[in-house]
Amino acid sequence: MNNSPLHRALCLTAWIAGLFCLLLCAVMVYEHSAAATNDPWKSPQLLALKDKLAAEPKNEPLQTEIRQMDRNFREKFRHRLELDRTGGWLLLGGMLVLTLAAGKAAALKKTLPAPQPKTDAGESSVKLASLSRWSLAGVALVVAASLVVIRFANTSVLPANPAGWEKLLAKKTGAEEAPAEQPPALAEFQANWPRFRGWDGGGVAAQTNFTTNLAWRAAILAPGHSSPIVWGDRVFISGGTTAQREVFCYDVSSGALLWRKAVINVPPSPPMVPEPPEDTTWAASTMATDGRRVYAFFANGDLGAINFDGSVAWTKYLGPIKNSYGYAASLAVWGNSLLIQLDQGEGESEAPAEGTTAVAAKAGAARGGAGEAAPAAGKSRLISLQCATGRLLWQRARPVPSSWASPIVVEAAGKTQVIALGKPWVIAYEQANGNELWRAELLNNEVVPSPVFAGGFVLLPDPGSRLLALRPDGAGEVTKTGVAWAADGNFPDITSPVSGGELVFTVSSMGMVECLQTSDGKQIWETNLDTEVQASPDIAGDRLFVLAKDGALVMLRAARERQEIGRCQLPDKFLASPAFAGGRIFLRGATNLFCLGPDAGKPAKQP
Amino acid sequence: MLRRLKFIIALAVILLPALLACAEQRFPPPDFEETHHVLPSTTTPAARQIWLQYADTGVFLAALATAVWLIYKKRSRSRLVWLSLFSLAYFGFYRKGCICPIGSPQNIVLGLVNPGYAVPVTVLIFCFAPIVVALFAGRAFCAGVCPQGALQDFVLIKPVAVPPWLEQALSVVPFIFLGAGLIYAGAGTGFVICRYDPFVPFFRLSGGSFILTMGAAFLLLGMFVGRPYCRFLCPYGGLLRLASLASKWRVRVTPDTCTQCRLCEQSCPFGAMREPASAARNPASLGAARRRLGWMLALLPVLVVAGAWAGSKLSPAAAQLHPDVAAAERYVRQLTVPAQYGLMTPEALSLQRAAGDPEAILKLAADLRHRFDLACWLFGGWIGLVIGVKLVSLSVPASRTDYEPDRGACFSCARCFTACPNERVRLGRLPAADKPATP
Repeated sequence: MNNSPLHRALCLTAWIAGLFCLLLCAVMVYEHSAAATNDPWKSPQLLALKDKLAAEPKNEPLQTEIRQMDRNFREKFRHRLELDRTGGWLLLGGMLVLTLAAGKAAALKKTLPAPQPKTDAGESSVKLASLSRWSLAGVALVVAASLVVIRFANTSVLPANPAGWEKLLAKKTGAEEAPAEQPPALAEFQANWPRFRGWDGGGVAAQTNFTTNLAWRAAILAPGHSSPIVWGDRVFISGGTTAQREVFCYDVSSGALLWRKAVINVPPSPPMVPEPPEDTTWAASTMATDGRRVYAFFANGDLGAINFDGSVAWTKYLGPIKNSYGYAASLAVWGNSLLIQLDQGEGESEAPAEGTTAVAAKAGAARGGAGEAAPAAGKSRLISLQCATGRLLWQRARPVPSSWASPIVVEAAGKTQVIALGKPWVIAYEQANGNELWRAELLNNEVVPSPVFAGGFVLLPDPGSRLLALRPDGAGEVTKTGVAWAADGNFPDITSPVSGGELVFTVSSMGMVECLQTSDGKQIWETNLDTEVQASPDIAGDRLFVLAKDGALVMLRAARERQEIGRCQLPDKFLASPAFAGGRIFLRGATNLFCLGPDAGKPAKQP
Repeated sequence: MLRRLKFIIALAVILLPALLACAEQRFPPPDFEETHHVLPSTTTPAARQIWLQYADTGVFLAALATAVWLIYKKRSRSRLVWLSLFSLAYFGFYRKGCICPIGSPQNIVLGLVNPGYAVPVTVLIFCFAPIVVALFAGRAFCAGVCPQGALQDFVLIKPVAVPPWLEQALSVVPFIFLGAGLIYAGAGTGFVICRYDPFVPFFRLSGGSFILTMGAAFLLLGMFVGRPYCRFLCPYGGLLRLASLASKWRVRVTPDTCTQCRLCEQSCPFGAMREPASAARNPASLGAARRRLGWMLALLPVLVVAGAWAGSKLSPAAAQLHPDVAAAERYVRQLTVPAQYGLMTPEALSLQRAAGDPEAILKLAADLRHRFDLACWLFGGWIGLVIGVKLVSLSVPASRTDYEPDRGACFSCARCFTACPNERVRLGRLPAADKPATP
């Protein structure tokens, strides 16, 4: 054995280097395990404070405390990263010394080769080859066994043969589903108030005789700015908080709460999302119904379809929604399809985002000729879902940033058109397949008011600047050719216009009511109500209803003569637009749902 | 007792770094609810400048040429060690193990299968230059240019001989790994050879727990078993092994005539030294040897077909590594059992994308599964072929007159040179008068 001083020194060096590495590793492992328990994402202290903040969003000392704690965590994390980096290099150095010293020490102890007498080389090579073949067979068995384990440990739920794939794809395309539901007749839609501003989004009631007698009021159980919708003997509203989003169903005669249903735990909706602005709330989007189900969409991207008995038909997650003021566009129903205008973001390119899987690139071919790639998550799009199942019928990317207008469906120029606004475009799509029919670049401001269709024109305000009338019979780019007339003025930036056909009425946020001629946009009269208005006006018979924020319900003559017929005062704050159905008017305030009509319990008289 | 204690400490020293598991812990972004602060969008680092890429290629080719010169002209182990250290520093720690020839066949296959993927010229050079060199001069790349090999060489302290029969059997594993890497690359799933490279985390001082553990295990093993990754796993080494079999020049232990002194028998820590095999055989065993060879040749197509059939059964499991197939699986599973995600994990995001357009993801998954069906047929057949060919090669008797390294297995590391007395005479370490007499 070589015990020279050099050998002893090398061994000692190797030992010291080894101990150094060991201690260093121990420190790094300790830091890592401590970091795992102090994970800021899961810190119970921080989570508890954040929960408290959700309940007290204006608590500034609490906000400061959270920020400070978050900052402390981040500083510790940065410190740990630096420690890891330095420790890694020190460890490398230590191992370098260890291996050099140990290797040199081993080399000093190396003995000279002393070959031993050998048996017959030929026989030993034959034996070796035989043994090698058997061991190779063993390796082959091990490889085969491993592959078998891999095969059975990773079971697949996807079909194994082409027939199975065809069946699965047919199921997803609806080919194998139960026969499609027969949608309600148009007259039934028109007799109810199935979406924001009535069956066609125009704000014109089918009935003409409405009283302003207060029939009942019911407490609002969850905040929201969505407008009520009505079908038959039911009126529905939605509301929500950070903890829960719900749909509420009341009886139209008595205001009794029939049921309430939460739309939560919609996979893969995350449990925590940024709180929407207080001015918008979780439930700003007005629901829609087809007489079988009500559909509700919330600011976190949860979409729910609730049967009329209060059970959940289906849910879908369409988020996250990137909308700085909070999502507010309302749903629309046409036939068997549910339309969602999901405008969001800053108006990024239509091309799919980097990192999107081949879904975005291949969806055009996958859809068999629709010719449009599925928009990447976070980008504006118009979506059509099957009402009965929530199955995607089609979706189209939109070249617009966030907007808050709602789409309308019109029968015009021999087609069923979905018209959607989003700065700077007015775009019409074919309702059946989402193909774009025409578009016009006319909007210069952020869009909140929704369009209406009246007098053969699509009427829409360019918020704060003009009211436009477009012909819906164009094709392609119609910016220069599609505008029938444009009236300049301080037109509404929030409320939508209303028109009975001959005349169109607009109400600005400060209460300025204007009446224009639908055929050419000529102003007939204007009047200032001197009150703040955020609810869109409606027409019932010959009356124009304007609901002010302070609860004043003003009735004007919907005619060429300026005349205030009357007004009544409701004790609440109103941002949502009224619903008119069955001889009753439903108004959603901040704290109560009001019904104006025959006395509670008495059926409304139909005109 | 002392030796055992040293072994335990060495084991602990090597394994404990592997416990630095969570090198990739993510820190959540702050939630700016009140201030509506917009987080800056993430950017990816700019690609390495083109002239630097060509510089890397130049350094690579120069290192290859230097290795060949050092092995065949200078026959210098010490200079080869310096070249290895340079390669470890440059291609390992400076370039962080990428780009390297080991993973480059995947780039080539992807370029062949996917017309939208352009293989850079530098990748082509990194892939083919060592193979071309191997066709002429053996595994010079392994000798002094591969950083993974250099790292294993560096930690080799006390080599233990692997039984030759085990070495032969395990020599098929690199080819199986190569096959798996190529089918996954061709199917657009990813570069599994790179993903499971055990040494790159050491070059980058960062990695996941599994791969760090694997690397630590290989280094620990490498202290006693020479170059375990190179010999039993490296897929590129399999290609070099094949190319070296046909090399024009080969490494010889002796610069002169072999005197059969057997002093070089144990000089190779990698089990590549082959002793002379007697040409004269017992005539009685010749018939058995021929019959055995005939059986192995007949077994070869059977193994290929059986392997292809078995491989085809692997397709559902193999395809799940592809992110789009995994998304489709996740989507179909949650139709029956809705998934609940506590946080917005990558799986939740993937499910969300799939739910956005399920028809598209299912059609894509169907197409990918079909491609994997074909790829797994090929992979299974390849495994059968590799095993069959190895069985045949083990049934062909070798004929050798001198002690010489196996052409395919030799890493050209020059360790065996100084074991030969003739080499020592050439180096002047032995006087010519002491040169053993030729038998």
